Amino acid sequence: MTSAVETFGLTKSFGPTVAVDRLDLCVEPGQVFGFLGPNGAGKTTTIRLLLALHLPSAGSARLFGLDSVRDSVAIHARCGYLPGEFELDPRMTGQHVLEWFARARGSVDERLRDQLSERFDVIRDRQVRELSKGNRQKLGIVLAFMHRPELLVLDEPTAGLDPLMQNEFHHLLRETTAEGRTVFLSSHDLDEVQRVADRVAIIRAGRLVVTDTVEALRRQAPQTIELRFARPVPPGVFESLAGVQRVTAEGDRITLKTSGQLAGLLRVIADHDPLDVVARHADLDELFLSYYRPDGATDDD
Amino acid sequence: MMTEIARYDLYNRRRSTLWYAVGMALYMLLIVVLYPSFKHSTELNKLTRGNSPLAALFGATGTLTSPAGWMNVNAYANFLPLIMLLLTIGYGAGAIAGQNEEGTLGLLVVLPLDRGRILAGKVTTMILQALILALTVAACVYVGRAFQVKLDPAHVASATFAVLLLGVDLGLIALALGATTGSRGTAIGIAGALAALCYLISSLAPVVHWIHPVRYASLFYWAVGNQQLTNGAGPGALAVLLVVGIVAAISANIAFRRLDVR
Repeated sequence: MTSAVETFGLTKSFGPTVAVDRLDLCVEPGQVFGFLGPNGAGKTTTIRLLLALHLPSAGSARLFGLDSVRDSVAIHARCGYLPGEFELDPRMTGQHVLEWFARARGSVDERLRDQLSERFDVIRDRQVRELSKGNRQKLGIVLAFMHRPELLVLDEPTAGLDPLMQNEFHHLLRETTAEGRTVFLSSHDLDEVQRVADRVAIIRAGRLVVTDTVEALRRQAPQTIELRFARPVPPGVFESLAGVQRVTAEGDRITLKTSGQLAGLLRVIADHDPLDVVARHADLDELFLSYYRPDGATDDD
Repeated sequence: MMTEIARYDLYNRRRSTLWYAVGMALYMLLIVVLYPSFKHSTELNKLTRGNSPLAALFGATGTLTSPAGWMNVNAYANFLPLIMLLLTIGYGAGAIAGQNEEGTLGLLVVLPLDRGRILAGKVTTMILQALILALTVAACVYVGRAFQVKLDPAHVASATFAVLLLGVDLGLIALALGATTGSRGTAIGIAGALAALCYLISSLAPVVHWIHPVRYASLFYWAVGNQQLTNGAGPGALAVLLVVGIVAAISANIAFRRLDVR
């Protein structure tokens, strides 16, 4: 099956600044692909490259197997886009916006457009300049979905939406992927991504750090183990063990992070009379933050 | 779909286009109504006697009391091109660069529409706005026949068409500069400076001998600087203006295809 999105060494430079650096991505159809990264990581630039708003400095991107630049018109007919900085002519009314974009795009299902407008309580009779950020965003969601696109490219789509509308939007994402359509979702909201994304990619300083399912990322993340002993134990006992990454000691308590096999660690713990053992996987937030940090930084930095 | 772009831009600029046309019509009607009062003024021609560079700076050369001289000094050599350029350069700079700065261009570019067709919609809008202004002016000059402003209608038509082409040329240059730099301010600044330079060359060429040979480099010369109201704008002049416009449109198309859109 043809991938919905594939990039091959995709690179974009603005003068000496490399915004996206040799990015290789693959998004399979029918999934929500969460695209994460701190501010300035290159998320928006990547989205603009996928939609040929920007031309790549090197590398290429293919959507539905088509070249993002050469076949941009055919790709745009099959894509819905909600930009992160969603701006409309402030003089247009909501109704005017919906009608004009439907005419300009062609092939819009007017019934679907009206259903979506009702579902998201879109205000149609006021000028865009009078709408709040959230109400403008709802208009943007309808514009992105109203032609039933095969691929939705959404940059911070829930910014400004109230929790009820966010929930409705997440339902819409699930309905979309249930129909075999694909969502490329850039977001800062880790909780949102955890709830809706099937796969996640993390980008930092223009480079892909990791891409995997949320569950796999969680499994790979180091566990935190909190120990309480009958008497103080020197932290050096654990520091030399394979897989143990960080040890902190406070009186009779030891906290350590570990990944990999636990058998050796458990034997050492047992040798020192443990009174209490608590093990937990890293929170998703913690996991992502560990990827966001510059190389070599730690929690204590 | 291309026509949707033009329709949308024309709709949004309907008020400014209307007021440009109404304002210009009122001005032109005033000029033609005043003509009989100045027709026999000997004082007026003293302004241009001796090839005064100062008078030339304001577009006044030759006899000013003839219908052609009167219309030239009051409209065709200065005010009409100025208003036309305000309209076209303003729109040209805003159509791509301005919309990109506002963040509204991205949603147009992701429509299933080639960038060349989006640009064609913008160029169509520019030409239609200029055409509305040009037709208004030509109609007012025709009304002037009732006030002794008797000019050959064919010459008026070709001269007005030349002013339209002048405006569209510089508007397209602004469009191309905007698509190249992504900056509305830069596009207006450079296109405006180019227009001012062309105006100076064309208006001073008849009275400053060292400028005379370079008049061919001025778009104003081809549009209004060669007695077009008296002799009509010849096919050579119109061809020059058309070619410049086509080159500017092609340049805008190439630049727009390379523009990184927000």
